[in-house]
Amino acid sequence: MAQFHSLFTAIELEGPLEPGLPLRWSRHRRIGGAFHSRLLGRIGESQVGPTYLGWPGIISLICGFIAIEIIGLNMWASVNWNILRFIKMLPFLAVEPPPARYGLWPFPPLREGGWWLMAGFFLTVSILAWWVRMYNRARALKMGTQIPWAFASAIWLYLVLGFFRPLAMGSWSEAPPFGVVAHLNWTATFSVRYGNLYYDPFHMLSIVFLYGSTMLFCMHAGTILALARFGGERETHEIADRGTAMERGAIFWRWTMGFNANFESIHRWVWWFAVLCTLTGGIGILITGTLVDNWFLWGVRHGIAPHYPQVPGLPSSLPHGYAQPPSIGAP
Amino acid sequence: MRFLITVGTLIFAAAIFLIVVPRWTHPPIPAIQMGPPPTSMIQFGRGQLNEPVSQNLLPVLPPPSAGGPSATAAYHNVKVLTDVSAAEFMRLQEAMTRWVSPRKGCDFCHAGKDYASDAKPEKHVARLMLAMTRHINADWKQHVKEQGVTCYTCHRGKPVPAEVWYPSIPRPKHGIAAKQENWREVADNVKKFFPDDSLDLYLLGEEPIAAQSRTALPSGTVAEQIVVKRIYEMMMEMSEGIGVNCGYCHNSRALMSWYQGTPYRWDGYWGIELTRDLNRNYLLQVPGILPQKRELVHETAWPVLPDRESGPLAGNGLVLCATCHEARPQPLDGASELGAYPGLTGPAPAGGNHS
Repeated sequence: MAQFHSLFTAIELEGPLEPGLPLRWSRHRRIGGAFHSRLLGRIGESQVGPTYLGWPGIISLICGFIAIEIIGLNMWASVNWNILRFIKMLPFLAVEPPPARYGLWPFPPLREGGWWLMAGFFLTVSILAWWVRMYNRARALKMGTQIPWAFASAIWLYLVLGFFRPLAMGSWSEAPPFGVVAHLNWTATFSVRYGNLYYDPFHMLSIVFLYGSTMLFCMHAGTILALARFGGERETHEIADRGTAMERGAIFWRWTMGFNANFESIHRWVWWFAVLCTLTGGIGILITGTLVDNWFLWGVRHGIAPHYPQVPGLPSSLPHGYAQPPSIGAP
Repeated sequence: MRFLITVGTLIFAAAIFLIVVPRWTHPPIPAIQMGPPPTSMIQFGRGQLNEPVSQNLLPVLPPPSAGGPSATAAYHNVKVLTDVSAAEFMRLQEAMTRWVSPRKGCDFCHAGKDYASDAKPEKHVARLMLAMTRHINADWKQHVKEQGVTCYTCHRGKPVPAEVWYPSIPRPKHGIAAKQENWREVADNVKKFFPDDSLDLYLLGEEPIAAQSRTALPSGTVAEQIVVKRIYEMMMEMSEGIGVNCGYCHNSRALMSWYQGTPYRWDGYWGIELTRDLNRNYLLQVPGILPQKRELVHETAWPVLPDRESGPLAGNGLVLCATCHEARPQPLDGASELGAYPGLTGPAPAGGNHS
């Protein structure tokens, strides 16, 4: 039986290794030789390497290494350098930011957040240098810069959590700790502390874009895979030169939901959903505690959440300090 | 093909591991609504999880013959149970033995045949605990209601109740790196790994439990992040200890609002006050009477363990919600045998109740 071959079949192309485009200044900056990997070829291109590092890449790796070292060694020191306990307790170990009494003072004692500040600094430098590297590589290949800008959106959320919001609140203690369970607990308590982030409209938007981007990506990837037998994987070609694959995909979505993205716009949809997820999320975090103190009461005030009736059965004598009902008016 | 078989086998093995090794619950998960909406959200039960301790009462001893001499007339050195008859006194002694030390029997507290002797420190602790029980039943009706407590409510047949906690020592303040928090190291769910530091603050200390702002816009009343973390740990302890979800007490996202909580929240409030009272006024005295090497229920924070063991509070277990409740909204599901043992209800003080 004849087998139809598209780019999505399991054929691994293995020819001469591609060195890539010539570099602007020098021919000797790419790291490592290239080789073919049969295993990686099953899930992507079989050619591995060469890698371009450059100065931003070198800075990023060094700073990232320093940050990970600071975090890891602090965690190890926190269990008295016992390697078994380090492995056993690793999910629970943490490097905490300075306590609130140090405010934004940049040189708190090392054991009280000094290491956290250093780790945060080097991690931030590392991430920003990696962004420069992505931007440079995109420009060097004469590509657009959508990928670095999408990455910048994620960096925005990271900076809001660890830098901009602590600055606005006037204390490093507002930032999340480094640590697996520690940062999860931070997330849960942060939401509870401010009356539940679910009522934060920017948090709502962020969730819409988060789940929306996964759904859109699944719709798109499913469509293209389903159209591979008609040449649908040549999707950008079919933007201008519609073939039966594009037409079938479009009809499928018109039949099922009455409207279809086209082969160009679907990529804009997905890109913007992904970018707006962290962009709106960062805004939602930034205004929490700075502009709004209790999102539930804010929601009640603006008709998002219902105002619950007082429940029956309260004791006739309230303890001191508990008699004050929450206020939905101005503070 | 070989590749597929290898991967398939690995996935199969991983799936078997995940099915067999963890303790699973399966539907139907018991769910009840305590009242009509919107005054009550749904509570989910434990499913098929094992009970940590027995939830059944022991059979009540037959009632004593009426009349007879009083305990103080019949026995020497009676200090707490001064208001019962000698027959009721003996009956209660027997019940206490079954509740607390069924294995060692009378010898757990009494030195040999001389029952009036105060030689064993366990007897002093037993007196203290008896006074505490009478205090709870007489003065803490807001929390224990008519059900009350007996020794068995906490002890369930063991000299030390299954659920107790130990005060944490402060984290060491030397060195350039911070020491880890006092995470517990043996637990069957993530929550139980949480450190006990919150219990020091809220079940022994007098820290107010308040986190959220009462206004939508900033008014400077939001607690610090670390405080909220401790409150969160404390609330999780309560939730786990009495086997309920957040919605049992809090009826809306305004967790701080007493007007949007359920009436059960008041039981919880009095429960916290009661626990503070017991820990401060009774259980803190125990290590002074009965110095004991603490049994390590969880091997906490090995590097600092010697300090914790040799400190002034060594061996001093304190109570928390789970000590009595054992993952039930009402201990022993509300079953009470207090009425059968009148000696456990002390005289109510003249000053009325604690409020």
